[in-house]
Amino acid sequence: MSPAESPLRGHELPAGGFRVEPAEDGRLREVLGSPAGAGEAHPLWAYIAAQRGIGVSVAELCALAEFDVADGPLLGSVEIELAGPIGAGEELWVEGEIVDLVRKEGRSGRFDLLVFEERLRDREGRVVSRCRNTFVLPRREES
Amino acid sequence: MSLAPGAALGPHLVARVEPGKIATLAMILADPNPIHLDPAAAARAGLGDRVVSQGPASIGYAIDMLLAAVAGARLVRIDARLTANVFAGDAVRAAGVVEAAAEVEGGTELRCRYWVEVEGGARAVEGTAVLLSPASS
Repeated sequence: MSPAESPLRGHELPAGGFRVEPAEDGRLREVLGSPAGAGEAHPLWAYIAAQRGIGVSVAELCALAEFDVADGPLLGSVEIELAGPIGAGEELWVEGEIVDLVRKEGRSGRFDLLVFEERLRDREGRVVSRCRNTFVLPRREES
Repeated sequence: MSLAPGAALGPHLVARVEPGKIATLAMILADPNPIHLDPAAAARAGLGDRVVSQGPASIGYAIDMLLAAVAGARLVRIDARLTANVFAGDAVRAAGVVEAAAEVEGGTELRCRYWVEVEGGARAVEGTAVLLSPASS
């Protein structure tokens, strides 16, 4: 079956929850060299909280695309939209789905692009952020 | 504060990407990939003899550059294309330019292009971003 007809398109990922702990936000800011947040979590948490809070690990996500995480998925692109600040300490709901799985062929051989979107929602259900990621999955054994 | 189209943003410099900070970020990201922790794993993956910095770190540098360049601004949107690796020990430079500015409700919307480069090396990340600069009181 061609990945262009992937049944994963629209596949809903198990939802989960996450809270950006202020201390952990502080550690992230220390890593990046960022200024203090004054109650607001660093915007990069739109990516991190989604990855950690969704109810599936990166390995399990890759497995859905029949890819072994040990074969080295690559983060190809990220798109983040923020409706407002992410509050440090705020309870967040995390949801998402696979957007598509597309087969490509390049100079280095065949690979798949696994596109998925995750959203953070606040207690009132409002979308705080959207994060759409593209993983590059090299299909070395098939090239 | 708002900036006109063509205005330069940054640069924001990271003098040295520390391996200890890469390891801390691996914990924050819950990313078990050993190329971020073990130089031997990076070597086995054909990536040389230094651990690899996570792509989101470079996006974080870009975000910090953008928010420092426009005082009081809020990040509304950012996209990033990851095009090369950053390694432990690298110096990194994030910079950008304002491409368009428009008055919108609540302030000025700035559409920007940015990039993150290894000093003396490859461009690791490039993309666009939208900032909302609040109206002057």
